[in-house]
Amino acid sequence: MTTTLRQVGIDLQESEDNRALIEAIEGDNPDLTIRHLPGLVKLQAPGRIVVNRESVEARLGREWETGEFQLAIVSYAGNFSEWDDDQIVVSWEH
Amino acid sequence: MQYELRYQVIEPKRHTYQNVIDRLGDQPASRYLEATLDVQPRENFHYRPTWAAGRELYDERFSALRLADPYRFTDPRQYYYTPYVTNRAALHEEFGKTLAYLEERDLLAKLPPAWRSVLAAVVVPLRHYEAGAQLVSVAGARFAYGTSLEQCCSFAAFDRIGTAQMLSRVGIAAAGGTADMLSSAKQEWIDGAHLQPLRRLTEEIMVTGDWAEGILAIGLIDRELYPLLYQSLDQPALLGGAAAYSLFSQHLAGWYADQRKWLDALVACWAGDPEHGPANQAHLDRITTAWQPRAQHAAAALDQLLEEVK
Repeated sequence: MTTTLRQVGIDLQESEDNRALIEAIEGDNPDLTIRHLPGLVKLQAPGRIVVNRESVEARLGREWETGEFQLAIVSYAGNFSEWDDDQIVVSWEH
Repeated sequence: MQYELRYQVIEPKRHTYQNVIDRLGDQPASRYLEATLDVQPRENFHYRPTWAAGRELYDERFSALRLADPYRFTDPRQYYYTPYVTNRAALHEEFGKTLAYLEERDLLAKLPPAWRSVLAAVVVPLRHYEAGAQLVSVAGARFAYGTSLEQCCSFAAFDRIGTAQMLSRVGIAAAGGTADMLSSAKQEWIDGAHLQPLRRLTEEIMVTGDWAEGILAIGLIDRELYPLLYQSLDQPALLGGAAAYSLFSQHLAGWYADQRKWLDALVACWAGDPEHGPANQAHLDRITTAWQPRAQHAAAALDQLLEEVK
C-alpha cells in the first residue's frame, strides 16, 4: 500500500527579517513549495518541514532563538512535533 | 445575497534594485545586499590620484591581498547603516548603564590599589591604542576595494572611537569625575616603559602602506590584548574584590567577539579566493610572521604589570 504524504504548511509574514528565515527553510527542505501572497508567504511540503536554528542564524547574521519563530508565523497546517532550542519540526502526527 | 471575497496578486515589476538583479536575479533580497552589492564606484573617475602613479582613485591594487570578486565577501553580521547604528546604540546604552551603576556606588574609585594601578597604567592608556587602530581602520575604509569590505572597515573605525570613549569614561569615573587619570594615562602611553613596545608597534602599523596589512596587524594585537585584559582578568577581578573591572570589561570582550566575526570571515575569503587564493595565503603568512611576534612581545610587556592582580 502506498501512503500519500499529506502536505504540511507554514504561513509566514513577509518582512525583511523573515526573508532570511524563509531562505533557511527553503535550504533545509528540498521539497518545499513557496507561494507569495500580499504580505504573506505560504510554505508547503509533503509530510514535514524543518526549521534549523543554525541555518537561520547563518543567513540572519545574528543569534536567533527558535522562540522568535512565533513572531514570524501567521498560521500553520500540521503539528509542531518538535520545538526545542535547535530545531522546529512541523509534521502530521496522526 | 452572497459576496465572494477574492484577492488579486499584483506582481511588482521588479523585486529589487538593479545592482542585486545583476548578481542574484530578480528576487527579493535583504536590505544589506541592496545597500552593498556593487555600490563601489568603478568607472568615470575624473581625477587620478597624483600621489599614487598608475593607480585609480579607487583601486583594488592598494593592497597585496586581493579578491577576484570583492562581493564574494559579505559581512556575516550583515551590517549596513541601520543595523549597525541600532546595535552599537544598544551596546553603548548597556555600557552607560553599567557605568552609571559603578559611578553611583563609586566602585571604580574604590578599587583595590593593585587593580587601580592596572586601570591607570594599562587599561586607560589603551584609549590611545584604540585611536591608532581607528586611523588604521579609516585607511581601510578609504582604500579597500568593494563596498562589502569598506563598510566593515568604516564600522570598525567608528567602533574604535567608541571603545576609546568607553575607556575614557572609565578613566573619568575612576578619577571621581575629573580628567586626572586621563592625563596620567597619556603620560604612561608616552613614557611608560611597559607601553612602549605597543606604542611603537601601533605607530608603525599606522604608516604601513598596505591597508589590509594594517588591519590584520592591528587584529593580531587585538588577539593578544583583548583576551588578556578583558577575558582572563575577569575571574581574578570577581574573586579579588574588583567586580567593577569585570562589569565594564564585559562590554569590551563582547565587542571583540563581534569584531572577529567579520575579520575571520574576510581572512577565510582571502585565503580561499579562486584566483588570488595561493598568493593571498602567502601574504597572510608573511603578515602573521612579521607582526605576530611583535604583538606578543607588546602584550607580554603589559602582562608583567598584571601579575599582581592575577
